[in-house]
Amino acid sequence: MITTTQLAPGVVLTHCPDRRFKKCALSIQLLRPMCYEEAALNALLPSVLLRGSRLHPDLRTITWRLDELYGASVHTMVRRVGNVQTVGLYLSLMEDRFALEPEGVLAPAVEFLGELLFDPLTENGVFDGAVVDSEKKNLISAIESELNDKRAYTAARMIRQMCQGDPYAVPRLGRVEDVAAITPEALYAHYRRILRESRAEITYVGAGSPERVAELLLPFAGALGGGELYAPDQYPLKPVAQPGEFSETMDVNQAKLTMGFTTEVDQRHPDYAAMQVFNDLFGAGMTSKLFVNVREKLGLCYYAGSAYYGSKGMLTVSSGIDECNYEKTRDEILRQLRLCAEGQITEGELSASKQSIVSALRSIPDSPGSVEGYYAADRILGVSLMLEDYISAVETVTAEAVARCAGTLKLHTVYFLKGEGK
Amino acid sequence: MKHTFYPRLDEQVRRHRLSNGLEVCVVKKPGFARKCAYFVTDFGSVHTSFTLDGKTVTTPAGVAHYLEHKMFDMPDGRDITEEFAALGANVNAFTTYDMTAYYFSCTERFQESLELLLEFVSTPYFTEESVDKERPIIAQEILMYDDSPESRLFEEMNRMLYRHHPLREPISGTVESIEEITPELLYECYRAFYRPGNMMLCVAGDVDENEVLAVAERMLPRESGAPVQVHLGPEEEMAPVENLRRFFMDVAMPGFQLGIKCPAGRTGEDFAHWELVAELACEALMGESSGLYLRLYEEGLIDSAFGWGVETITGSAMVVVGGDSYQAEQVRDAILEEAARLARTGISREEFTRMKRSFLGRRVKDLDSFESTCYRLCAYHFEGFDYLRFPEQFDSVRVEELQEFLRDYILADRCAMAIVEPRQGKEEE
Repeated sequence: MITTTQLAPGVVLTHCPDRRFKKCALSIQLLRPMCYEEAALNALLPSVLLRGSRLHPDLRTITWRLDELYGASVHTMVRRVGNVQTVGLYLSLMEDRFALEPEGVLAPAVEFLGELLFDPLTENGVFDGAVVDSEKKNLISAIESELNDKRAYTAARMIRQMCQGDPYAVPRLGRVEDVAAITPEALYAHYRRILRESRAEITYVGAGSPERVAELLLPFAGALGGGELYAPDQYPLKPVAQPGEFSETMDVNQAKLTMGFTTEVDQRHPDYAAMQVFNDLFGAGMTSKLFVNVREKLGLCYYAGSAYYGSKGMLTVSSGIDECNYEKTRDEILRQLRLCAEGQITEGELSASKQSIVSALRSIPDSPGSVEGYYAADRILGVSLMLEDYISAVETVTAEAVARCAGTLKLHTVYFLKGEGK
Repeated sequence: MKHTFYPRLDEQVRRHRLSNGLEVCVVKKPGFARKCAYFVTDFGSVHTSFTLDGKTVTTPAGVAHYLEHKMFDMPDGRDITEEFAALGANVNAFTTYDMTAYYFSCTERFQESLELLLEFVSTPYFTEESVDKERPIIAQEILMYDDSPESRLFEEMNRMLYRHHPLREPISGTVESIEEITPELLYECYRAFYRPGNMMLCVAGDVDENEVLAVAERMLPRESGAPVQVHLGPEEEMAPVENLRRFFMDVAMPGFQLGIKCPAGRTGEDFAHWELVAELACEALMGESSGLYLRLYEEGLIDSAFGWGVETITGSAMVVVGGDSYQAEQVRDAILEEAARLARTGISREEFTRMKRSFLGRRVKDLDSFESTCYRLCAYHFEGFDYLRFPEQFDSVRVEELQEFLRDYILADRCAMAIVEPRQGKEEE
């Protein structure tokens, strides 16, 4: 059974017991408000922490230590969960029972994780300047590479426009100019402050007992301030930007049409499961209405799909088209939505979508990483939706509920990215 | 069925060879919802020349990959992908230099999906029209690979390393070679390589192994078919055809692919042991925690794209090293020098133990992935080794073997290096 234990005020361990795996997972995330002031600092911090601790001061000694721990891996975590940006580290380990010596891997690995988090390499009381510079470069190139993937770029650009004034408009990794302005002093001060002030969510998936894991994590509880102060509220999008259409030009061969909708059905709404089914049936599934009609039947686009953002009550539709098909594609997408709202949903479509979602949900418990992802997000969003309850909610969704969900969607923003012309 | 328990990996496997020669293997994963099945033939792009029923056939490059594409065609226009989707399963396939795999994963309705997998892979249906229709699609795929510097580098390297071995040709063939592919040729290859005795069915998940056997017995041919004899050309000399070649493409940064030719021909236990020794030796030489890696990285001679591997494709063996660098030749020379130095001074026992632990742990962790477990069980089965015996393999490796490997195989006269440089730079010259 999944249990949660408060290790200190504002420091909570979610323990997901599972003895089936060869590996276990441990994540620790500090919760920060998603905002322009902090986004770049939060995104940079974990990468700097992974560059060296006082006892393992460079990449080579860190790699040696991870090798000794049976090829353990530690990754940075910078996630967006609704209005929260998380900062942390993710540890993936071989289970103790496969180790050659009785003390196993978990205990020394948790100790090493603590060292990376709480005892970083410093120079004159702040992070090493060369390390900060090199990680700033990496982060900037990660942000800039978003522009290379035009499909991801247009979706993010549309969301930034539609969500103006809302935390969701803030880019997950911050802005290039904010990263460029970070000094080792500012980053270190930020680090000390967020350790002290942030709510911390720790998630463990593996064979270790809750008592043993909690005991190994006790030093963490002491090092964290455990503030409830900065656990931001989660709320759906209430757009302040004016609804409308806007376009941009770039050197692209394929134009992109992206549409943003709002809905009152968010993750806490009784129709949440029905909205997931609608999204699959409308645009996210393998044989969705958009795929079958807009792409296959009418041949209006190279791709067309939808994405539902349950934490914010938003749905987006993205498509890659020939510029001249702009109006036709937009109108056909809206027509398909209207048909759904009018209840034109076949039994076959409904059951295929439900089956595909249920199958994806049933697969979640089959990997430590997806269990961690599900329950950590669930805690941070404050939803408390156990997987079994979610699955039975999806199984009982009716065509009427799907149509009702389609009816709640209001078109807010249309973004059109077109080529520079010949 | 034969039961095997692997106490050091906590895995239960059931195996059985059907009377038609098909090897069936079920990895028991109690309590898991996901299930996956791999149906694999020991037939890849290098199997271009073979003798069946006394008749020798030589095929154009790319025929295995072409056949994989056409396997999804069924009589009366059935759409296999859609039928899997209707069952809630995802189906896919891939072709490598030495095998072709068809696989699906699902949570529900496993038996029906398994029946469908075995049905479509045992139903060859090729017509003049459907084979012609596929040609431009595969040609597009080939052109896409031609645009990729990584695959161009790898292919150039193979052509420099090997005089005769069919590794000289790309997996999907060339736009010209696929012109020669006909339905008759596909049927001929199908008869030679898609017979049960040349294949393996590997399943992972919480499934009843007897059910798997029953489905396999019901869906597949009774007869094993005549065995095929594969020809890989004359034995290769250890010296490459050519040691260094440069070409130009629209790339931002120069890249390289270095191949170091090693003697091939091992099977079973010997094969797996040699491969493990090779991997550990390369890790000591140029792994991310090695002195050489750190030095090259700090000097800016390599970046995070640097990587290496040990490739053991039917009838060949090589160490491959690739990455981005403005000084690829210096990187090669540094690797050769360091190999010679380590062969002389030795690798410390401490470092050896650390590397072994890391390798062992990563392989154990990988067993959580059903796909990679099935893939490896099949690939090693065709080499005559039970992959899940890797912990015992680790026990048997001695540190001296790593040194011997570096001394005997990492040699300048076994190297072939392909370098790609930005086209822009060439024009300026």
